Amino acid sequence: MTEQLEAEVRAALHERAAQVPAARIAQLTHTDYHPRTRRLGPPRRVRPPLAIGALTTAAGTVGAVAVIVSLTAGASNAFAGWTAKPTPPAPGQLAGARASCETSQSPISGLPLKLADTRGPYTFAIYADSNSSAACIKGPSFVAVSASVASSAVNVPAGQILLSTSHQTDRGGDGYSFADGRTGAGVSGVTLTLDDGTNVQATVGAGWFVAWWPGGHPIKSAELTTPTGIVNQTFNLSPEIPCHLAPRCSSSVSDVGGGGPAAGGGTSVSGFASGGGEVQSGSVQSSSRSR
Amino acid sequence: MDRRRADFDTFVAASTDSLMRTAYLIVGDLQDAEDLVQETLLKVAGRWHRVRRMEHPVAYARRILVNRALNDAGRRTRRRRELTGEALPDRFDDTDEPLAFDAHDELLKVLATLPTRQRTAIVLRYFLDLPEAEVAAAMKCSLGTVKSTAARGLARLEQALRTTNDKRSIST
Repeated sequence: MTEQLEAEVRAALHERAAQVPAARIAQLTHTDYHPRTRRLGPPRRVRPPLAIGALTTAAGTVGAVAVIVSLTAGASNAFAGWTAKPTPPAPGQLAGARASCETSQSPISGLPLKLADTRGPYTFAIYADSNSSAACIKGPSFVAVSASVASSAVNVPAGQILLSTSHQTDRGGDGYSFADGRTGAGVSGVTLTLDDGTNVQATVGAGWFVAWWPGGHPIKSAELTTPTGIVNQTFNLSPEIPCHLAPRCSSSVSDVGGGGPAAGGGTSVSGFASGGGEVQSGSVQSSSRSR
Repeated sequence: MDRRRADFDTFVAASTDSLMRTAYLIVGDLQDAEDLVQETLLKVAGRWHRVRRMEHPVAYARRILVNRALNDAGRRTRRRRELTGEALPDRFDDTDEPLAFDAHDELLKVLATLPTRQRTAIVLRYFLDLPEAEVAAAMKCSLGTVKSTAARGLARLEQALRTTNDKRSIST
């Protein structure tokens, strides 16, 4: 019986293993696993929080509700494989990210995909409809999902961008920042410059732009490609939410660059989950800023 | 491209297929298996300057993968419960309706219910056909532990096979 059993077990295992799609294996094979030779961003105080900045527009305010769900362990390996410029997705990379992001309980469930940014093994996707949006970052060891709900229409002046940016840190202490937002008419390219001089090229399309980078350096300016040439927007970003107000510190900020009028307030709700998968309700903060 | 980098790429090309299928058999979920393989390869990449000099780099990668799979088993279960808001569904539940009394299907169903250590021992021993000593090295345990762990798993599988055969004989 034992030999027969072992033969049956072998056959069953090989039968099951053969069901792994070749495309999924090809995707893994073509992923860049090499560590970055230069780590961006200074070592920051460990901030386990996740937050989404409230969007502020020239026309009014947009309330944002953010829920972050980190699905797996926070081991980030210092974001190995990250690139300052978007890279073409590996075969199956987008499908894999969508499968992770679009779970039935995810806040992005039901929202159409607007834009996906791929940098090495990482995928950052924006989902949105007319009154809400959500972002999802999928890496080799984590998935983070956030959502925001707009309370008024978002109007972005032509040739400018509406920027929302946030800094996050996993429990491993590896921080990363991301920026996403809307592009005004005519904007076909966005390159962000961080305060350490690093340039991060964003993915642009469908009226949105997306970029992220390891570390916590804030955005200093953005170079926009428009029909009339290159336009520079500068930003003066600083954390708005005092970290001592919540057990898990959050920082978020929103801005409209280009020197245009930007005033108003926003409300953000942050939540955080990590490693073990626990989800904590976050603090609620109202903030306002004027320029 | 430097030699070390090229060596690593060759290693990835040669080992990913086996690592991914092994991971899938252990964790029973494609997404989890992909995460496991990527985490493993990232770790190997970070230590490639040492790993490339090893006699069997793939054995080292397999050890990382298995260790991670065993350590993360509880976390994956908790995560699924939180995501679904309900009890963990059967693993390998993404397949078509099984054929009646299909022996392999029954074996795999039981395999999915085994404790992770038993399932891992079975997979390494009977999918990869590793000698027990190599299974022990991969699982970081003694030879005796591997033997007893695999034996307990096999006993459960044997029971499932007998049940299937009984059903088959009754139906015919």
